[in-house]
Amino acid sequence: MKLQTKLTLFNTVSKLVIVLLFVALLPSLINTINQSYTDSRFRKQKDKVLQVVHKSGIQSYIQNDEAYASYNLLKEEYVYLDTVSMNEFLDTIKNDRRKVDGDTIQYRILSYTFKIKHKNYLLEIGKSVSSIGETSTPLQNIAFEVLLSMILLTILADLVYSNYVLRPLGLIIKTKLRSNKFPQFGAYEKVQTSTTDFEYLDVSIHEMIQTIERTFQKEREFISNASHELMTPISILQSKIENMFEEDAVSDELKIRLLEMQRILNRLKTITKTLLLISQIENEQFLKEDTIGVNELLQDVYDEISIRLQAKNITFTIDVPADIKLKDVNKFLLFNLFFNLVNNAIKYNKEDGTIIISCAPVKGGLMIRITDTGIGISEAQLPHIFSRFKKFRQSLEQDSFGLGLPIVKSISEFHHIHINVHSEEGVGSTFELTFPDELIG
Amino acid sequence: MNVLIVEDEKALAGELHIFLTGNNFLCETCYNGATASEKIATNQYDFILIDLGLPDYDGLDLLKEAKQSNPEAACLILTARAEVYDRIKGLDMGADDYLPKPFSLLELQSRMQAIMRRKFGLKHNLIALGNFAIDLTDRTICFNSAQVNAITKKEFDLIAYMILHKNRTLTRPQLSEHIWGSVVNDDYDSNYIDAHIKNIRKKLNVYESPDWLETVRGLGYRINL
Repeated sequence: MKLQTKLTLFNTVSKLVIVLLFVALLPSLINTINQSYTDSRFRKQKDKVLQVVHKSGIQSYIQNDEAYASYNLLKEEYVYLDTVSMNEFLDTIKNDRRKVDGDTIQYRILSYTFKIKHKNYLLEIGKSVSSIGETSTPLQNIAFEVLLSMILLTILADLVYSNYVLRPLGLIIKTKLRSNKFPQFGAYEKVQTSTTDFEYLDVSIHEMIQTIERTFQKEREFISNASHELMTPISILQSKIENMFEEDAVSDELKIRLLEMQRILNRLKTITKTLLLISQIENEQFLKEDTIGVNELLQDVYDEISIRLQAKNITFTIDVPADIKLKDVNKFLLFNLFFNLVNNAIKYNKEDGTIIISCAPVKGGLMIRITDTGIGISEAQLPHIFSRFKKFRQSLEQDSFGLGLPIVKSISEFHHIHINVHSEEGVGSTFELTFPDELIG
Repeated sequence: MNVLIVEDEKALAGELHIFLTGNNFLCETCYNGATASEKIATNQYDFILIDLGLPDYDGLDLLKEAKQSNPEAACLILTARAEVYDRIKGLDMGADDYLPKPFSLLELQSRMQAIMRRKFGLKHNLIALGNFAIDLTDRTICFNSAQVNAITKKEFDLIAYMILHKNRTLTRPQLSEHIWGSVVNDDYDSNYIDAHIKNIRKKLNVYESPDWLETVRGLGYRINL
């Protein structure tokens, strides 16, 4: 998951949790506020009533022991005064029911007893519970709405800001890591950011890419130079050996030893030539402007290699229509690509085995399959088969040095051909080459 | 035939000199571009072998000079700088062939023969071997004027190469370099020359035993003429 998505998700969820918590607590919170407000109002009213009673005397309210009661039209509030027995003592505020004009209504009631002239009086001030609570629902609604809109606003602000602040990171990932495919690195472009962490990341990645590039370039130059430099001495040795064969003074016994030298020199020459070829391909020193028929090319490969097929009595089938053409390719390189793949298919095949080359259109291009009935490649070896000088498979003739598949790999990369290998030990291997649409003529 | 060898590696120039003299060419050798330039301006040659990597001269400039003052000469470029563009550039500028180092001396001779055939209009090379007649120009083999069709391209290449270097033992590495030289693959010593020779013998035996094709024990093969 992307960092920005994670941050946004966390922000939203955490805010949502807070809102839900608040909404859940809101009713009881508002009730408590209402109640304490009502209670303090009651106390003030009580003090006022007592003041009035002291001023104008209790007689103006209670005459002949008749209770005084006053309430408003909707019976939401009332004041009640009465005489009670001397030993009663009350100073409470609590909810209780009262019957007023035949209606039983739940009130919040302040009850207070006080003595005047050896008489005990009870004062009750009541307010109906429903009138206390009536503001709580609209209050809750307003609070909820305000809260929700505030949360939405902050989420939006978070989103915009995190998007702004994380943009350099996205840019670094996109331009420096995703579009930079080894070994082709683009030119360095500074990512604009005021965040020092991202600046550091950008510079560090750039430095690492430069180091890789330099090392890679050095390796390529070294291989290219080394193989070039080796060509001349090899050439001299080869000529000397060839001329010595013609010397009358050289005995047949010595000639056989000369032949050994020639063989070993040949080995050196092949390795050097192959490394040079790979470095030339990697340095893009080949043109891609040939148009070739696949079937024709495979026939050429067959002509070149038929003697090896015969030696193992291998059945070779080319199942590719004659009209399939490739364009913008290098014929010499593609010949070598197929030659090496078929050569491997022979080398690691069994006696009387088969090799089938077929093709099929696939999404985005054309797939050419080379299937053999050879010894196969184990799963552990599969990721390494394209590495230079690695020999895993025990071929029946120990006569290669592990550069066949590296050639195949560099030629494919040069042409943007995708290679996929399936193999099962003891059953055989299939090399799938996917030629992109641009190469299909 | 007069040959000018322009090669700054003295050891290699020496071997080229020995080999070409042994094959009846008249050779002159120079180790730098300046001397070569003088020689080209004053003398006429049939062949000029130019190493592109000269210390004092661009080999391609030398090629230009050679084309001007020695228009009849066949120019062969030798180089360790096996860059593809050099090849194209060299051939564009009138080089007759191009041989990347390291090359076999036999290959050099075979290329020179091919140029001679092309350039100096040699007559059909008809070679008689026993009752077989081999035409190197048309690439055909006839037995008592009936064409032998069974021989493949590769097999003919082998026969032609051995005829060109007749009476000389060709080793398996030399033969395989000739017929598989353009293929870059990771085999060494993998040598299917024996299988090819066996096939050639089998196919020709139908008509007559090819006694002229000799196996030199431990070394290779030769055609005796």
